[in-house]
Amino acid sequence: MRGPCNTMAFKQGFLGSLLLSLQSCKATMMSLEERKRAIKSSADIAMATARGVTGARWPRAILSSSSSSSSSPCKTQGKVRRCKNIVRRYHCHKRRRRDGNGTSFFARTASSSSAEVARRLVKKRTRVLRRMIPGGELLDEISLLHEAMDYVVHLHAEVDVLRRVSKALRRRSDASSGRSASSAQLHEGTVQVSGGSELNPC
Amino acid sequence: MSSRRGRITDEEINELISKLQALLPESSRSRAASRSSASKLLKETCSYIKSLHREVDDLSDRLSELMSTMDDNSPQAEIIRSLLR
Repeated sequence: MRGPCNTMAFKQGFLGSLLLSLQSCKATMMSLEERKRAIKSSADIAMATARGVTGARWPRAILSSSSSSSSSPCKTQGKVRRCKNIVRRYHCHKRRRRDGNGTSFFARTASSSSAEVARRLVKKRTRVLRRMIPGGELLDEISLLHEAMDYVVHLHAEVDVLRRVSKALRRRSDASSGRSASSAQLHEGTVQVSGGSELNPC
Repeated sequence: MSSRRGRITDEEINELISKLQALLPESSRSRAASRSSASKLLKETCSYIKSLHREVDDLSDRLSELMSTMDDNSPQAEIIRSLLR
């Protein structure tokens, strides 16, 4: 895989950035909807900053799209976006024409009798994949696969961190609200399936 | 093929495909090992990324609900950091 692939360092960096933005969220009063949106964008930005811009395109794509949406609409940014769209459409056209003439590597993997169908299917799926990965629009097929691998690895890590954070917060809020259920379980010594060993640090 | 990348060997492509397959959840690996088509692989990858996105969304929603019921914030940071050490 290209670029840095240190998951632990990424998780800690992600968590650090996330906590900072969570604390600033806490300070301002928001509706639940506003808070949901704020946390989602904080998570995106934390992902991108923790990953860094070496070896992958998606972090920069996330950062540039979030900065353009958060700042007031600016003429130059609109122009940049339009230029990017034009470049993307040009690249897609070029690719489509080229794939029609020669054999792209994807077509080679299909049997010759169904090559045309396979090619169309692959092109359709590649288009979908491009939309799912930030910044995927401008990549060629090989880079797209590299990018997808990198992105999936970091999404994994993000999900793991978010799960642990919500578990920790839930335990904490359960403890502070003094629910009898949880304390009873502790006294009985029942081993919970998912959280048995994790009760100790608290 | 794109001239800017030079010639890509079949070996590199297969390596790329198997690496990507290794990342996807178990269910996809039980099928034919190296001969699964490119389109199937792309479909798996797309749906997996979609499900990861959905999970991140759900977790963020849960987090925002938890946060609105919390009073003090700083001890949380300590607990959470200790989870990752």
